[in-house]
Amino acid sequence: MKLNRRSFIGSVAAASALAAPMVQAAGHGKPRVVVVGGGAGGATAARYIAKDSKGEIDVTLIEPTRKYYTCFFSNLYLGGFKNIEDIGHGYGTLASDYGVNVVHDWAVGVDRDAKTVALAGGSSVPYDKLILSPGIDFVDGAVPGWDISAQNAMPHAYKAGSQSELLRAQLMAMPEGGTYVMVAPPNPFRCPPGPYERISMVAHYLKANNPTAKIIIADPKPKFSKQALFEEGWNNHYGGMVERIGPDFGGENVEVDPGAMTVNIDGEVIEADVCNVIPAMKAGRIAELAGVTDGNWAPVNAADLSTKADPDIHVLGDAAQQGDMPKSGFSANSQAKVCANAVRGALTGSRVFPAKFANTCWSLIDTNDGVKVGATYEATPEKIAKVDGFISQTGESAEVRKKTYEESEGWYTGITADMFG
Amino acid sequence: MPRFSDVILPGLGVTGLVLTGALAFSTAGRDRAEFEASEAALNAVRAELDAAEARIAELNLATVTAEELEDAMERLAAFEARLAARPEGVDEAEPDPAPVVSVMLAGNAETGETLFRECRACHQVGAGAKNGVGPHLNLLFGRAAASVPDFRYSDSLKRAAANGLEWHADTLSQYIEDPRTFASGTRMSYAGMKDAQDRADLLAYLRTFSDDPSNIPEADPTAQGTDHEVDPEILALKGDPEYGEYLSSECTTCHQASGGDDGIPSIVLWPEESFVMAMHAYKDQVRPNQVMQMIAGRLSNDEIAALAAYFADLEK
Ligand SMILES: Cc1cc2nc3c(=O)[nH]c(=O)nc-3n(C[C@H](O)[C@H](O)[C@H](O)COP(=O)(O)OP(=O)(O)OC[C@H]3O[C@@H](n4cnc5c(N)ncnc54)[C@H](O)[C@@H]3O)c2cc1C
Repeated sequence: MKLNRRSFIGSVAAASALAAPMVQAAGHGKPRVVVVGGGAGGATAARYIAKDSKGEIDVTLIEPTRKYYTCFFSNLYLGGFKNIEDIGHGYGTLASDYGVNVVHDWAVGVDRDAKTVALAGGSSVPYDKLILSPGIDFVDGAVPGWDISAQNAMPHAYKAGSQSELLRAQLMAMPEGGTYVMVAPPNPFRCPPGPYERISMVAHYLKANNPTAKIIIADPKPKFSKQALFEEGWNNHYGGMVERIGPDFGGENVEVDPGAMTVNIDGEVIEADVCNVIPAMKAGRIAELAGVTDGNWAPVNAADLSTKADPDIHVLGDAAQQGDMPKSGFSANSQAKVCANAVRGALTGSRVFPAKFANTCWSLIDTNDGVKVGATYEATPEKIAKVDGFISQTGESAEVRKKTYEESEGWYTGITADMFG
Repeated sequence: MPRFSDVILPGLGVTGLVLTGALAFSTAGRDRAEFEASEAALNAVRAELDAAEARIAELNLATVTAEELEDAMERLAAFEARLAARPEGVDEAEPDPAPVVSVMLAGNAETGETLFRECRACHQVGAGAKNGVGPHLNLLFGRAAASVPDFRYSDSLKRAAANGLEWHADTLSQYIEDPRTFASGTRMSYAGMKDAQDRADLLAYLRTFSDDPSNIPEADPTAQGTDHEVDPEILALKGDPEYGEYLSSECTTCHQASGGDDGIPSIVLWPEESFVMAMHAYKDQVRPNQVMQMIAGRLSNDEIAALAAYFADLEK
């Protein structure tokens, strides 16, 4: 799909953009990088470009929220291992210590000819290189009966923050012996082990507080990441509490009724006390508005994460279709650093080093029972390709599992410092 | 060092591994002259590979790669033979600097689909594939040999499975190159696919019917690009701190640049030598942490030196 059309979408935004003061056009003075989305990919990219260019590049970060709640460890919050404040991070240090111009607003359009980004507030920001890391949005109609207006009755909690708090409150309010239903997403989606770590954390909470409760997963996928490890863990820790209905038994044929709080799985209607619907995903909408998507995702070149559609627009993280890397915070952070190095090189002539990527996803199954899966990746002409990897083994000792969990705590501190300074 | 892993054809489909010719020799315990002779031989091969690589880069790869690589492989084989003929008395206990040459071909899944015609009489693959004369080939990569339910395997394959045979790019390539040599009693009556590029293409096609690492991170790799370049004088290497700074961004995903440590140790302000030794202990899998083995495993000695130089001076 080629979209070279100007993408100033939405007449309100376009009209107010005209009235707003225009920042000086690109091509004068310092090179300008605009980053849209201050999450795992965007915050990292903004910080590295600002830090490493030592003032040679103007970096603007556009992010609507004042505080970013990490999806990573949001399951641990559900399980009671973290407080909500533990997973919230502000942008103050990026502005004060790194000189990033942090603009709390939505990007609503990209004019690829004029090289400007339109903001919901009406202004327009010019760029020489644009980096989009907007995360995910949900595919309309993916789960019949569910849309974004139903997210209060049936939360997804797949963007962290108020949704996580809502789901936790619903979990705590479940009647004795009640039923928690998860509608799991189809591939590809952010954080392949995420739904199953969440099931573990929900079971952990219920075992202590509501031990006769039941958990049902309706799953459209025949297999999922770390399956043997999770199933072993559920068996050992939460025997009999978790039931997974895979596609062989109609797990992909699901309809919900948020008004009645019912879930219809292949003709069988279940009354849910909590219904966690995680619909199919696509790139955050701004990627589509910029005209760099093909289908649900934005195809990118492996060496620098530039889009196939426009060499001056890069897409990182969940929104990118890059090849073998799973959609994770670790991956987004890893891609951001490769992209930052390439963008800086292109704008200031600094040294560009070969792309190297890595990912590790830790999951917590129960107290001190951590597991992990990881791999390294390289850039090939076609895609980011997996080179090598490892996974925790079933039957590992409690000591190993505890170490793995402690490692994940260390990683969390490390990556959030790497993103926000 | 020239790497054939750099030879990846532009514009082709899924990448598949065909050949990994790894040859290693130990220098410890040999006399100087011998070592120098080996070095010279190795340098000659390096130069040849460089030339071949440059030529490949110049030409339209899709048409010449198979020949070029076959040619390179012949020369490598000759080199290997020369090394095999080395005098006895080499100290095997010290796994010293081992030059590793890894040769990889990219596979074209579309060509592979055409090649699969040779297999289709017996094997099905794709949606609704069932066992026929041979087992179905869905989810083939990463599965244990002789493990498809309801298929009656030869004793030969069952034995291999009991010995731990799993199907990955390398084992599959060896099997289809010459099935009877690989498993003498196999019931797969197929003469074998001799051409390395053909096997790469076929496997690239079959790979598309197995789990994708982007959905299941633990799924089989689609690339085989690791080559660990090793230098005899590891500790003497002078690191390039600017490269180290770039590489360090991979470390700071977990290790805090501020030197803080909780759950994951601090790595700043270490003496360079301790840093290098620790990294090599992971690289050689002497230290157990899986994440560190993975990360260190793909760092060259120069890269480890660069990191050591960078972190040794890091003040924040
Ligand atoms: C339950 C759960 C558990 C997870 N656990 C882990 C884990 O343990 N480890 C791990 O590595 N990953 C984990 N992940 C995955 C990880 O959270 C994501 O892969 C990662 O956040 C992706 O980074 P990103 O930059 O692409 O998007 P995000 O981090 O989602 O950031 C996108 C940002 O863009 C902003 N934005 C969107 N549109 C616009 C716009 N138009 N204008 C301006 N700003 C915009 C959003 O506000 C948001 O802040 C988990 C995810 C979930 C849901």
